Amino acid sequence: MPRYTLKKRVGMILSLSVLSCVSIALKAKTLTIVDQFGNPVEHAVVELLQSTAQQPVTKTPAIMDQVQKQFAPKLLTIVKGQQVSFPNSDDIRHHVYSFSPAKPFELKLYAGTPKAPITFEQPGVVVLGCNIHDSMVGYIYIAQSSAHFVSDEQGNVTLPDTTTSYWLWHPEQAQEIIERTEHDWPAGHSNSKVEIKLTKPEPRNTFGEMFKEHHGN
Amino acid sequence: MSLSNSYKRLLLAITMMVALSACQSTPTTLYQQVGEQAGLERLVDAFIKQIGQDEVVFPYFKQTNVSHFRAGFITHMCDVLDGPCTYEGDNMVQIHTGMKINEHDFNHTVDLLIAAMNEVRLSHSLQNKILARLAPLRAQIIKI
Repeated sequence: MPRYTLKKRVGMILSLSVLSCVSIALKAKTLTIVDQFGNPVEHAVVELLQSTAQQPVTKTPAIMDQVQKQFAPKLLTIVKGQQVSFPNSDDIRHHVYSFSPAKPFELKLYAGTPKAPITFEQPGVVVLGCNIHDSMVGYIYIAQSSAHFVSDEQGNVTLPDTTTSYWLWHPEQAQEIIERTEHDWPAGHSNSKVEIKLTKPEPRNTFGEMFKEHHGN
Repeated sequence: MSLSNSYKRLLLAITMMVALSACQSTPTTLYQQVGEQAGLERLVDAFIKQIGQDEVVFPYFKQTNVSHFRAGFITHMCDVLDGPCTYEGDNMVQIHTGMKINEHDFNHTVDLLIAAMNEVRLSHSLQNKILARLAPLRAQIIKI
């Protein structure tokens, strides 16, 4: 009996110490991003400003695929200096372009003819389109460092406790697409809410858009 | 003698005039017969409307950039119909690879083009000449 009690006590101490470890590791801040109507905003990018950590750039290229005439993923976040490949999983051709100052380029992608990956040296935002299929819109967010986060369905991102200021950006933001707004973390708070004004995307120059009334959608 | 000479010269002049006027009335290009750039624009706009309102062909074009298609098709037609254009876009094989267009859908699209030609009131003989120019492209478009 005494041995059992001892075992139980040791077990309790052990689990307590494990719990405290976990709670130290989880000590973090939660930022909730909402739109002008108070609805949670998914796919907002939050980048920490004070991070000076220089991580080695990932050697493996990130992937921006084209699947069923859509970019996949619609939003890709990378770190400056990283490469992105554009594989084209569709059977048909695509003609991907960017007019964004961070990286203007064009890439004719024929089925089964892979192109070399593209390196994104400048931090910023790149908007992708397809010359042939104007319904296709994609975004590449090129962060300064790996200290960047994307909000979930509830509009939440978990940030390190050390966060003092950050940039906020969203693909459907009302302001200029390449602009990121700077925010300070309210001192002494572990949770914060920030609003970003979103706007409805412009109609696309497609047959689908032009004849939508005829097809009843 | 001199009279005969003047007569010869007159005859020569008349012959030359006839020859020159013949030059001027060289058979016009199909591009000119369609009504040049403006006529092609009317035709392609009518074709776009036909496609946009057709249940069979519309799905192929739903996501297509209308301006890109319009500009490319006008230049391509201008080139094929002997107009002053050089089409430098993707060739027919590059464009249609992977679309796997079957006989039925191809023929249906030709019908839409004919409907567009009727709409802009091209004569049937001109329509046939245009279709004859486009027909050789069929193998580069279908079932690839």
